Amino acid sequence: MRRIFLVLALVCLSFAAQARTDVTILARTCNNCHGVGGVSAGASMPSIGGLQRDYLRRVMKQWKYDERSAITMSRIVKGFSDDEIDALADYFAKQPWTPVVQKTSPEAMDKGLATVSKICTDCHGKAGSDPDVDAPNLNGQWARYMELELEKYRSGEFKMPHRKMKKAIHEASPADAAAAARYFGAQSK
Amino acid sequence: MSSIDRRNFLKTLTAAAGASVLSIPKAWSASAIKARVVVIGGGFGGATAARYLRMLDPGIEVTLIERGTRYTSCPLSNEVLSGSRDIKSLQAGYQGLARRGVQVVHNEVTQVDPVGKKVSTAEGNSFSYDALVMAPGVDFDYGAFKGLTAELSETRLPHAWKAGPQTLLLKQQLEDMPDGGRFIIVVPKGPFRCPPGPYERAAQVAMYCQHHGKKKSKILILDSNDSFSKRPLFEEAWKALYGYGQGGMIEWVAAANGGKVEEVNPSAMTCLNGFDEFKGNVINIIPPHRAGKIARDAGLANFKDAWCAVKPENMESTAHKDVYVIGDACVGGDLAGNNAFPKSAHMANSQAKIVAASLVAKINGMPQPTPVYTNTCYSVVAHDWGFSVVHLFRVENGQWVYIKEGSGISPVTFGTKEAPRPVPRIYRKMEVDYADGWLRNILSDGFS
Repeated sequence: MRRIFLVLALVCLSFAAQARTDVTILARTCNNCHGVGGVSAGASMPSIGGLQRDYLRRVMKQWKYDERSAITMSRIVKGFSDDEIDALADYFAKQPWTPVVQKTSPEAMDKGLATVSKICTDCHGKAGSDPDVDAPNLNGQWARYMELELEKYRSGEFKMPHRKMKKAIHEASPADAAAAARYFGAQSK
Repeated sequence: MSSIDRRNFLKTLTAAAGASVLSIPKAWSASAIKARVVVIGGGFGGATAARYLRMLDPGIEVTLIERGTRYTSCPLSNEVLSGSRDIKSLQAGYQGLARRGVQVVHNEVTQVDPVGKKVSTAEGNSFSYDALVMAPGVDFDYGAFKGLTAELSETRLPHAWKAGPQTLLLKQQLEDMPDGGRFIIVVPKGPFRCPPGPYERAAQVAMYCQHHGKKKSKILILDSNDSFSKRPLFEEAWKALYGYGQGGMIEWVAAANGGKVEEVNPSAMTCLNGFDEFKGNVINIIPPHRAGKIARDAGLANFKDAWCAVKPENMESTAHKDVYVIGDACVGGDLAGNNAFPKSAHMANSQAKIVAASLVAKINGMPQPTPVYTNTCYSVVAHDWGFSVVHLFRVENGQWVYIKEGSGISPVTFGTKEAPRPVPRIYRKMEVDYADGWLRNILSDGFS
C-alpha cells in the first residue's frame, strides 16, 4: 500500500513539475557530480538528495549572489533563475536522505565524538541526522567533502557567511575537525 | 491531473513505478516492449543514454553495441602519465547496464541503414530500431600529417587520445626518456576531443620529470591553433610550477609562430612545419579528428564533411529521422558566437540525458521536455593544483543559446582590476579533489 502511495505521489509530482520548467531535466544536470537522486559516488562531492529545502535554497542563492564562496557551484548557479533554484531545492529536498556509511577506526570515532559533542550537536544533532531547519544533514555525508568544507571555513580565503560555523571552526584543531568529519561520515541514521 | 487522459496516466504510472520503486517482472516487460532503441558506442555518451532510457522507462528495449568490454575514461587519463593515477581507476565495465536490462552486445557495427532502420554487426547480426542513438566518438585523420600512420600511433608515435594501451605506451616512453630529453606534443587543428587536454598533459609530463630525475627535460607543444582552452590558468600554473617560455620546462609554439606541424619523420624522430625541424625523444602526435567512421558512412557527417549536425531540441540528426548523434561526433552549441559544445565527457553525458528524456516523452505520447545542456571539465596540472571550466546552454526559439552567466573558467585573479592578487592556492588544491569526485560520479552516472 505504501508503495502504491509512493508511486502516486511521484506521478503527481512529475505532472506538477512539467507545468513549468521541467525540474527533473534540470536536476539531472546535477547527477554527474552529485549522483543519481543526489546520492554522491565521489568522496569530494556532497550528497544532496534529502538535504533540507531551506538549506539548499539558501546556499544556492548565496553562491549566485556572491555572498558565499564556492569554487565550481558559484559559477554554475549563476545560469539558473531564482525560480529554478527554488525548484531544484524542492526537488532534492524531496529525495530520501541516503547515508553513504564510511567506516573508520574506533579511535577516530572516539576522537570525533568528543569534538562533535562539544561543538556540532546543537545544530546538526548528535549523529548529524537531526539538523536545525536550515542546517545540512551530516550522517553518512562524505567525510572528505566535509573536511574540504571545514578547510574553507578555517582558511579565511572564502566568503562563508554562517556566523556560528565561522566561530565553531576555531574551537577545534584541524585534526579534531577531520575526526568530526569522519565521525559523521560513519553514521548511518 | 484532470486534464490527463487515462492512457497517458497509466503509461506514466508504469514509467514512474519502474524508475523508482518496483522492478518489473521479466516476462511482463518482454511482452510489453513499447519501442526498440539501439545505441552505438559505449563511452560516456552511449552508456549514459542506455542507462537513462532504461531508468526512465523499462518498457523500452535498449541494445547497446560496443566493441570493448571495458571502458577507460579519457578525462584524467593524463594523470596516468605522471604516475599519480592508476589506469584502473578510470575504468568501468558494462555489467551495471546489463543489470538494468540493457542488452549489451560486444561487437563492431559494420552498417547502419537509416532508411530501413536497421543496424548490422561484423558477426552478421542485424538489429531493427525505432530510434538509434549514435555515440561513436571520433576517428583520427592520420593522413593529415605526412609520414604518420595508424600503426605508428600504436608503436612509436602514440597519440594516447583514446585512453588505454596508448596511454601506457606513452607513459613508458616518458619513463625511458633521458634527463634533458625533449617531449613533443603535437596539437591538431580544432575542434578536438578534450580541448584543455594537451596543455594538461604538458603539465603532467613536467611534473613527472620534476619528480623523477629529469629536471633538465623540456616539453615542447607544437600547436596548430593560436590559442587554447583555459589559457590564463594553464600559463599561470606552468610558470609557477615548471617554468614556462624561455628557459622554462614548458614551451608553447602557436600556429602563427611555426607551431603547425605538417610532417613527421619517425626514424629521425623529427617534426617539420615546412621550415624548421624539431627533434624529440618522445613525439606525442595527436591527429586531427572527425566523427567516427560509422557515422560518416551512414551519411550523418553533414557538417564540414566531418561532424554530425543535430537539432538543438533533442540531438536528432539533421540528416536522418529517428537517428540521434551525441558526444564527440556531433556538432552543436552557439556556433555563430564561437561557443560550440566542447567535446567533453560531461557534454556527452548531458546530451545523452536529453535524448533519453526526449525519446521517453515521444514513446509515451508526452510533451517534449525543454532541454538544458551543461558541462564541467577539470584539468589537473599537479597533485595539488587543478582548475575547471563550466558551460551552460539552453534552447530558445529552436536555437542553442550559450548562457554566459552560467559558464566560465576558475578565477584567474582575486582583488580588483587595479590591484589584482593571485588566487589562493587552496582554491587550486581543492579542484584536484573535485576532479576525482566528478570522475567517480560521472562514471557511476553512466555505467551503474
